[in-house]
Amino acid sequence: MMKDISIGRYYNGKSVLHRLDPRVKVLLFIVYMVTIFMANTPVAMLATFAVVLVLALLSKIPVMEILRSVRPIVFIMIFIFVLNLFSIRQGDVLWSWKFLVITSGGLMRAVLLAFRLLLLILATSLLLSLTTTPLKLSDALESLGSPLKVIKVPVNEMAMTMSIALRFIPTLVEETDKIMKAQSSRGAEYDTGNIFHRAQGYVTVLVPLFVSAFKRAEELAIAMDSRCYRGGVGKTKLHPLKMKTKDYLWMLALVILAVVPLAVDFLWKIK
Amino acid sequence: MDQEIKELQKYEQTVQADDLLFSYPTNSGTNVVAVDHVSFAVQKGEYIAILGRNGSGKSTLAKMMNLLEIPDKGKLKVFSMSADEDENYWTIRSHCGMVFQNPDNQIVGTTVEEDVAFGPENLSVPLPELAQRVEKALGYVGLLEKADQQPSSLSGGQKQKLAIAGVLAMQPELLILDESTSMLDPKARDEFLHLVARMRQDKGITVVHITHDMHEAFLADRVLVLEHGQLRMQGTPAEVFSQVDMIRHLGLELPKWAELLWEVAELCGEKVDRSAYASEENAIAEIKRILKEKKEDIARPEKKEVIPVSEQEIMRVNHLSYRYEKKGNYVIEDIDFNVRKGEILAVIGHSGSGKTTLISQLNGILRPQEGSVEIWQENEKTFISTQKNADIKKIRKHVGLLFQYPEHQLFEETVEKDIKFGPKKMGYDDAECDRLMKESLPLVGLSDRVLKRSPFELSGGQKRRVAFAGILAMNPDVLILDEPAAGLDPVGQKEIFGYIEELRNRGKSIILVSHDMDKAAAIADRILVLKKGKQTFFGTPRELFSEKTDFLSMRLDRPLLMKTMKKLKADLPYIDEYEFDTKKAAESLVFGNEPKEVSL
Repeated sequence: MMKDISIGRYYNGKSVLHRLDPRVKVLLFIVYMVTIFMANTPVAMLATFAVVLVLALLSKIPVMEILRSVRPIVFIMIFIFVLNLFSIRQGDVLWSWKFLVITSGGLMRAVLLAFRLLLLILATSLLLSLTTTPLKLSDALESLGSPLKVIKVPVNEMAMTMSIALRFIPTLVEETDKIMKAQSSRGAEYDTGNIFHRAQGYVTVLVPLFVSAFKRAEELAIAMDSRCYRGGVGKTKLHPLKMKTKDYLWMLALVILAVVPLAVDFLWKIK
Repeated sequence: MDQEIKELQKYEQTVQADDLLFSYPTNSGTNVVAVDHVSFAVQKGEYIAILGRNGSGKSTLAKMMNLLEIPDKGKLKVFSMSADEDENYWTIRSHCGMVFQNPDNQIVGTTVEEDVAFGPENLSVPLPELAQRVEKALGYVGLLEKADQQPSSLSGGQKQKLAIAGVLAMQPELLILDESTSMLDPKARDEFLHLVARMRQDKGITVVHITHDMHEAFLADRVLVLEHGQLRMQGTPAEVFSQVDMIRHLGLELPKWAELLWEVAELCGEKVDRSAYASEENAIAEIKRILKEKKEDIARPEKKEVIPVSEQEIMRVNHLSYRYEKKGNYVIEDIDFNVRKGEILAVIGHSGSGKTTLISQLNGILRPQEGSVEIWQENEKTFISTQKNADIKKIRKHVGLLFQYPEHQLFEETVEKDIKFGPKKMGYDDAECDRLMKESLPLVGLSDRVLKRSPFELSGGQKRRVAFAGILAMNPDVLILDEPAAGLDPVGQKEIFGYIEELRNRGKSIILVSHDMDKAAAIADRILVLKKGKQTFFGTPRELFSEKTDFLSMRLDRPLLMKTMKKLKADLPYIDEYEFDTKKAAESLVFGNEPKEVSL
């Protein structure tokens, strides 16, 4: 029933983007966000699109896979487009019918905003979700967040919590499936019957699931104790994050790439 | 780091426990004594088995050796270091490895290698030594090629091996196994025990093994038996198991050959010397002696009347195949069998043989893609198929399905509500639900005192019964039970199988999924063997284990009782080695074969 759930849609690969230090990717992600938000002319937008295309090429992920991450936001894109199209009235009137008016300024804006959202999603997917495993991401956040330890934020423990959560997602999904089967043998309904029946159906799954999750947590805590877990202090790492020259060079290259659209835009304007 | 781990000094004894006491408070305010003035010692390199019923304090005792629990009173030394002193704390724990019962609940890492690294990471082992340890440990248990995979992709047996690897990477002196084999199938269990034996040989690791399995206990150098937190017996397996009456009194099982000797001696009214219980050879010699010297006039016990299986088919499975993905591999392929009224059918197969998929088909949780499943309706004298949506509710009424560890499906506030959930959903009215619930209680040995209690405050065995009753209250004709006795202690297991036989005598048909070959052979009328989704055998136990069946290709093990009987047959050619029940086998030994009714 729930076999196909995947978390964070990682696409296995060995491209430059896959191998890049996850901390660099998180930082680059911020840089690209800034670029995308600063690009507010058609020229800058097109240049940014070209840059995102470069990222896509670097990732070596099939186009269809990349587009799939866009699918969930298509509706929001259309919504933003339509909203801006009719609500902004600037420039020449292109078309009007009763109270609906489309202006050239509104069209421009609508296209820009919808396009910006598309670029945002593409950049996020390419830099993070498609090319970085959740575990690496958690490592990166742990490492980048370590200065927060000064103000007593338990960064290591938060990272540990996150990685245990990731570890148990498949286990709990499997368990949910088992409990659902067991309860439907007793006549519980999940996809038939009226809303009340269905709601009751989910109670029959959630209660046992929580009970077992608590039991698992308790047993896991004992197991971690027995393997001498003492928090993050003094803990070494099997795969520590390590910046290599290559990572620095790629970071530099990709930051420059991120500035290109803004530079192009600037040059276009002064021309 | 605040607590440095000290270098482990040379030590003589691995564990010295002197008068340990441990108690914990319960919700009701009383104190439960889990470990009650226990003293023992474990020598370096020894293999100790700890036996006892559920709740006898075995696990608490094991956790003390690892300092996961601290005794209230008494002196405990591990590796000749006092457990009281804080400075020894991490040194002791870092050299004790523990493998728990549930493979899923002890894996911490997101990948296999990360999990192995967890222990040494906590011990601040630096790179590159850390990576070397991980690689070595994974290589040792044979999981190296899985290093970068997710733990959820492993089988149960592989997960327990992963747990061992995680312990090995910490370079332990003492390995504590807390019922680590109880959730594994026989093949995985054998592999696990071999791995432990190899570790003892290669690395001289001391092993403390908590188990319910008496054959496992016989692998140990010494056995400790606990009851209500008190140490009742200790000694070599031969010494302990020769005190047969005590063992039976403590609710433990005897190995099959010992049980056979005991039954033969009972039948003949003979006293047996303790030494006869020391090993299988002794037992066989003793059985032969008793039979030679037995008096002629021993009365054959009256035969229990066995209700014959009726000829009425109650379930038909016709050429059933199923796969989860189109064009994928078949999970089950061309399964074809029937179940008759009042019959016990055992389904046997290793993990991954498609057993769960098969039983999910039988009450319409999964629907057939090819072939069909049909259920007999007594009232209407017709078969209905699981193919039709409209019939699914009826099917679920007729076919009750209880998955493994069914206590995980309890969810209501009270036992009463939980048991009534099924019948209510089946559309019975309140009075009817009440009657059905009350009828189901005695079938699984529950009293109505538990009805108002929350199912979550009951013991494991009680919860199992409540879940069982919840299915029985739907009054099904066919009961499908997936490993109904898994995880229970021998007494609990015996009780569950008692209920099953009683249900059969009341005319219910039972499909029993089990790993336990001895149990399946003894209790089942017919056996279905699955191997990699294919049906390799369907017939009586007698046919399955006979010389004619190509048994080896199924990669199954013969029942242990049969192995002993075969050894006896060499000298006593008249006996029936196909009696799979110890009592009946003993009768066959003492009285010879009775003329068989015309066999089916």
